[in-house]
Amino acid sequence: MRTARTLLAATGAGLAGYGAWLLWPRLPTAWTWLVAGPLLHDLVVAPLVLLTGLAARRLVRHPTYRTWLVRALTVSAILLLIAVPLVWRPRPAPPNPGLQDRDYATGLAIWLAALWLGALLGALAARRRDRRRRP
Amino acid sequence: MKLFRSPVHAPAVSARIGLWLGIAFGLCFLTGLASHAAQHPPGWFVWPTRPVSLYRVTQGVHVLSGIAAIPLLLAKLWAVYPRLFERPTRLLADALERLSILVLVCAAFFELASGLFNVAQSYPWRFFFVETHYAAGWVAAGALVVHIAVKLPRIRAGWGERADAERRAFLRTTWLATGAAVLATAGVTVPVLRRISVLAWRSPGGPQGLPVNRTAAAAGVQVPEGWRLTVAWPGGSAAFTLAELAALDQRTARLPIACVEGWSATAEWTGVPVRDLLVAAGARTDRPVRVSSLERAGLYATSLLPPAHVADPLTLLALRVNGQTLSPDHGYPCRVIAPSRPGVLQTKWVTRLEVQP
Repeated sequence: MRTARTLLAATGAGLAGYGAWLLWPRLPTAWTWLVAGPLLHDLVVAPLVLLTGLAARRLVRHPTYRTWLVRALTVSAILLLIAVPLVWRPRPAPPNPGLQDRDYATGLAIWLAALWLGALLGALAARRRDRRRRP
Repeated sequence: MKLFRSPVHAPAVSARIGLWLGIAFGLCFLTGLASHAAQHPPGWFVWPTRPVSLYRVTQGVHVLSGIAAIPLLLAKLWAVYPRLFERPTRLLADALERLSILVLVCAAFFELASGLFNVAQSYPWRFFFVETHYAAGWVAAGALVVHIAVKLPRIRAGWGERADAERRAFLRTTWLATGAAVLATAGVTVPVLRRISVLAWRSPGGPQGLPVNRTAAAAGVQVPEGWRLTVAWPGGSAAFTLAELAALDQRTARLPIACVEGWSATAEWTGVPVRDLLVAAGARTDRPVRVSSLERAGLYATSLLPPAHVADPLTLLALRVNGQTLSPDHGYPCRVIAPSRPGVLQTKWVTRLEVQP
């Protein structure tokens, strides 16, 4: 086990080392984008998630409803995150037919409406199941 | 830490999400290497010409596994976030471990963010995407392997631990968010999802029912009066007018055009098989062929057709698409369309085919 882990770690270090050697000459232009991920996550995203969770705990006492609220919020946030480069396109390529010509706002609005309706139905169904289990 | 009372911050959760995140990153890395090899083949490598959709599938898997990794990575980091604030016990070992995780998280976020902006054809950076995305891919893969090696006992403990109701709810939310992200974008390459995937970066539209990645205007292409296609080989050359090309035996093939950005669309192409054209000109058909475009400046103004693709009867110098003469944006007067090739190598506005010695 110990040998296998050591071998695995050495292989990984080798692969990463090769990547670092390729990446080295590009660091002067790429370093901001490389360090931005953990900084944004640890200092902005994760604290926001924490605060949202604490607020949900305060505002929605019932665990079933809270689960579905958090679920709908999470999926909404992920969809909005993925939509960012579609609606915010700094330094874009020249216009291309068939690229970015959907109505993203309307499409997203329909998805979010369906999602929140689904979450409401899910919460109500789960609540009924809870009641039947503990009458 | 008192602040993090939720039971989701546990190895039982991070091991389960970690497995799927590892699968997503693994698929993304391997298909990324495949795409890189298809575009910059090392001497020993031959990218197969069959199935005709091979590149379409590998690149579709590449972008969709990347999309799936976004919610998985965020969920995984949330499960382990409190450990960021733990007081280290073994100074050197902990410092090394944290450093390896920092490298992994830097590279992982970089790959997902740069990939996401690239598929949207937005480049809010000064580095060259292709090389940097490729290099950071190796760093992410290597750091992930190190991470798995370091955490193996913890991963096993996590799988041994039961997932209680709150943990199961968190895992379900993670799978739901992952499924939603994939479903919202998969229409770029899965035809039945075209209308459902509202966040697909490509619509099925475009001239002649096919998207365009570089217009004739963007490429600065003007077809000169008296255009001829030159076929050159060591020791000779021949020229064809468009009418002469159209008079040769035509072949029609249904072939996908599949972009590195993951989108793909299938069309009916009609033209002269490159192999037949070389035979008509009197050139060899077993050598690589350099294809040059009227486009002068772009990165992809020329491409090299490997021997396997030259010999394939489905590799066409297309004059028509979906029953119509190629529009300027699709490469008028003629373009290369070959089975199972990255879209950027399906050179448009072809002016010269050069059989390599």
